[in-house]
Amino acid sequence: MKLRMMASALAISVALAATGGLCTAPARAATLSGGFDVGPGGFQGNFNPLAATSGFTWLSIYFEPLVTYDEKLQKVVGVLADSYEVSPDQLSYTFKLTDAKWHDGKPFTAKDAKFTLGLAMDAKSGSVLAARLKAIASVEAPDDRTLVVKLSAPSASTLDTLTKVMMLPEHALASIPVDQLAKNSWWSTTPIGTGPFKFTKYVTDQYVELAANTEYRGGKPALERLINRYFANPAAAIAALRAGEIQFTYVDSNDVSTFKGDEAFKVIEGDSFVVNYLGFNHESPIWKDVRVRKALMHAINRDAIITSLYGGAAKPANCAYVADQLLPPGIDTYAYDPEKAKQLLAEAGWAQINGDKPITLLTYYTTPLATNVLAAVQAMLAQVGINIVPRAVDTPTYNSIVLNPKPDIAQFQLVYAGLQNGPDAGSINVGLNEKQIPPAGPNVVRARMPELNTALDTALAEPDASKRDARFQEVCKVMNASLPWATMWVANRYGVVSSKLKDFVWTPAPGGGPYAAHPEKWSIGE
Amino acid sequence: MLARTPHPSPGPTARAFHRFGNNRAALFGIGIIVPMLALIVSYPLWWTFKPNDIDLLAMNSGPTVTHWFGTDGVGRDVFARVLEGGRISLLVAIASTLISATIGFLVGAISALAGRWTDAVAMRFVDLVMTLPPVIFLLVLASIAGTGIWPTVIVISLLSWPLLSRMIRSRLLELRERDFVMASRGMGAGLTHLLFRHGLPNSIDILVVYATLQIANAILLEAGLSFLGLGIAPPAASWGNMLNAARSTAVLEQFPWQWLFPGGALVLAVLAINFIGDGLRDAFDPRAELN
Amino acid sequence: MLIALSMLIFLLLRLTPGDPIDAYIDPNIPMSPAQLTELRSQLGLDRPLPVQYLAWLREALSGNLGRSIQRMDQPVLSLVLSRIGPTVLLMGTALAIAIVAGITTGVISAVRRNSPADLSFSVLALVGISSPAFLSALVGLYVFAVRLNWAPSGGMLTPGAAFSVSDLLHHLVLPAALLSIAQAALVMRYMRASMLEVLNQDYVRTARAKGVAEFWVIAKHALRNALLPVVTLIGSTIGLAIGGAIFIESVFNWPGMGLLLVSAVETRDYPVIMGATLIIGGCVIVVNLLTDITYAVIDPRIKVG
Repeated sequence: MKLRMMASALAISVALAATGGLCTAPARAATLSGGFDVGPGGFQGNFNPLAATSGFTWLSIYFEPLVTYDEKLQKVVGVLADSYEVSPDQLSYTFKLTDAKWHDGKPFTAKDAKFTLGLAMDAKSGSVLAARLKAIASVEAPDDRTLVVKLSAPSASTLDTLTKVMMLPEHALASIPVDQLAKNSWWSTTPIGTGPFKFTKYVTDQYVELAANTEYRGGKPALERLINRYFANPAAAIAALRAGEIQFTYVDSNDVSTFKGDEAFKVIEGDSFVVNYLGFNHESPIWKDVRVRKALMHAINRDAIITSLYGGAAKPANCAYVADQLLPPGIDTYAYDPEKAKQLLAEAGWAQINGDKPITLLTYYTTPLATNVLAAVQAMLAQVGINIVPRAVDTPTYNSIVLNPKPDIAQFQLVYAGLQNGPDAGSINVGLNEKQIPPAGPNVVRARMPELNTALDTALAEPDASKRDARFQEVCKVMNASLPWATMWVANRYGVVSSKLKDFVWTPAPGGGPYAAHPEKWSIGE
Repeated sequence: MLARTPHPSPGPTARAFHRFGNNRAALFGIGIIVPMLALIVSYPLWWTFKPNDIDLLAMNSGPTVTHWFGTDGVGRDVFARVLEGGRISLLVAIASTLISATIGFLVGAISALAGRWTDAVAMRFVDLVMTLPPVIFLLVLASIAGTGIWPTVIVISLLSWPLLSRMIRSRLLELRERDFVMASRGMGAGLTHLLFRHGLPNSIDILVVYATLQIANAILLEAGLSFLGLGIAPPAASWGNMLNAARSTAVLEQFPWQWLFPGGALVLAVLAINFIGDGLRDAFDPRAELN
Repeated sequence: MLIALSMLIFLLLRLTPGDPIDAYIDPNIPMSPAQLTELRSQLGLDRPLPVQYLAWLREALSGNLGRSIQRMDQPVLSLVLSRIGPTVLLMGTALAIAIVAGITTGVISAVRRNSPADLSFSVLALVGISSPAFLSALVGLYVFAVRLNWAPSGGMLTPGAAFSVSDLLHHLVLPAALLSIAQAALVMRYMRASMLEVLNQDYVRTARAKGVAEFWVIAKHALRNALLPVVTLIGSTIGLAIGGAIFIESVFNWPGMGLLLVSAVETRDYPVIMGATLIIGGCVIVVNLLTDITYAVIDPRIKVG
């Protein structure tokens, strides 16, 4: 019996060793594999663009919106719309549609666009865009190539939201009841779009495969196949990248150093468009005095944190923005000055307000980098006599605490969080305007600052696009002086690609984009 | 033999001590764990660095004369953190073991001694808890309880008691039918009396062995929980959350001292405790002398 | 039993802070609580708990475990079933490796007691029991996949390639071997202890006295009897293996139950968690039953039926 067992053990180990040593998967030349849904911009397992809060990098390869951002995320350019016009009163958007075909050969028309917008505006379809499209009064398709969208009030963010509306084929989806749409298996089995690649298959929780759409109007794609591999965490994707199994993935910034100086890889760096801040819970009495809030800004050595922990790849923020055109001249830069911080605290009477009682700092950031940052912040604030205790929780826990209409102040006197601040500068409104205090909106710090509300409202309602930057400068100025948050920085995010890839366009856009990535031009060399 | 003696007599206990003293592995375990405990308890007195002192200028430095175990990603001293982590990990392990031993003993003893109905209900409940795969239970419990020392203690203790209560129950079921227990019942002894006068002395060996091995187990569980981000939350140090740093390729590859030392300390501690636990088990096992 | 289990899980889940809708929002791109209320009522998450549970139970009893909340287009049952195969494959292979390695080294250790081989196996086994599964997984992944490139870094099949058994095995070896460490160590220790005891028994001495060759004494007389306690042990390590599998699956991206559950817990996908725990609970019950049966087959004193 033992002999038999030994023999079988031997046989197994030989078999294992043989398979382990001999078979290496043949990588076909024209296939690009990547972790397209890794990291904060990804959404693995979601195939429905209407329900997508992120994951647009991948979705916009086979679906296309009417308009999208350029690859620098600076201006809105046409995709399925050749061009668009905005009426002088900002109430009417006219899109001239391009001559495109669905993957099944049927033509894309204005009726499809109207159908899609109808779905996106209808919360019953499971659309997460419905609230953001509330300004739309009507959508008309006067002919096959023209789409007219009318608004009930000017809204600068409508165009931004439209970049996230992926066009869907009416002929494939019209027969499905709206409330059953999200549950339909069409999305993950036979979706069709108009993009340069066609959906071929989804192997549950392992990968999604696309094939080149040889009929693509922008020319036949250079690659034959695109594979989006799923990873449980960025670390797993990095292992696969380094093992040569994939050619691209998002990489956490503290892992970037592994790739620097390595010939085989290129590091892509981009603005995250997310401003990180320490948000004061304005319902907690301890932050009432602006001198206390200023003391926090002076007590934290942001430059040191950026240099050492972010490797220099972040810009200190003194309001919600760091882009030059949005910064007014002469704002306070809150230089690191612990003595001044102590003095401000003493003037405000911090010893009576709170003293050294522990203050809970709630965050949903659980990355090693954020952990280190908070350790540094904790140590720096301890120097001036503010005793914070970081508490990292997962996203659902965080949301349930901060979005609760009747929050428990003790649970989050301070938050370390991020908020999208671009490409549409108006994105920050929801986090700071008094009208957005839960349950109405996600102003989780409960900022009630009349001056700030006015500045935000004026900027959002500004009909003249050329004056908008100046309006947002005013927002910046108010934020800088009244400090609804202790603004920290805007960090860069990274992707790493194999040097074999040519003409590959990727940027760490919030939510994964979309942006004009032109996947039809991507190619892979030897 | 011990099980049959209602009054502690020096005989078997002394023999157990003697057997334990002859077990080289167990002595080796004690030889590791005692100095380790001494270091962990005394380090604030003689070590220059505090576990949470950051030094952004000295981050990710390798082991040097000043920082024996190097520094971590924000320049904290790894040596201090390993010891502080040991403090927290051992505190969690010991506290959770005490709690789970108490629950386990009470449930097991009550269901053995209190009557058939209680027994049936308690054992079905134990079955239920045991059907649940531990880590899943852990995940759910941990997300309810939150992170930190005491939630972790609670989660680990709630998870660990069923096995002990089964062992206690089977030992005491046998005991229940013995004359002396019958006699004290006949004389109207209450449940508390039965539990502590008869139940406890007769299962003390099980308890001691369970407790030792459970401490080792709890250290591993804490590490696993913290690895999944559910145990002890940074910046507090624990062996588990220090190991979590190894998830990052950069740390794994370029700064190995950041995970090798806590990892080594963890494996060493668990190993030593396992040695001691094995030694205790053999020492209490009357058959061991026959070999 | 399963109903009680489902009730317990249901209750525990609802005590967990945050619900599937909270999990849906990226705090960097937030949505208003009012919008969330709407999404909640669409999912029926705003109904009283007993009503929700009974609704779930009624469906579950007729075999419908509902749909995943995070991936609306996927029914829980097929999601969970598609994950059982990979996990069973991983755990089965690991178990096989553990049994073969554990029993072989255990027997060698017992027969050559106190030899260098015994000592090194025993120490290795103790180290195996004492190291956390995730640490060996991380180090194993780094050494064998990233550095040496002997095995793929994760996944179950090469994406895009046609299915082949060798490809599957290639992906399977490393995670299964790493998962088997703790079990192999346990099996080895029990095997050694139980073999030592059996070797001291009268019938073994009798066999030796009769002049039976040492090899056959061990193989025929001792091994069979020494296996008994080990079989029970193997049954009881299934729980351990499921626990370890969660870590291994998460490090190696193995598309199994563990990975499904971890992500479902992270996103508070209630129906998936309920469905998966129920099915795992069912499997544990079946495995315990199988262990009892195996026990009966090996031990002639116990009659089946």
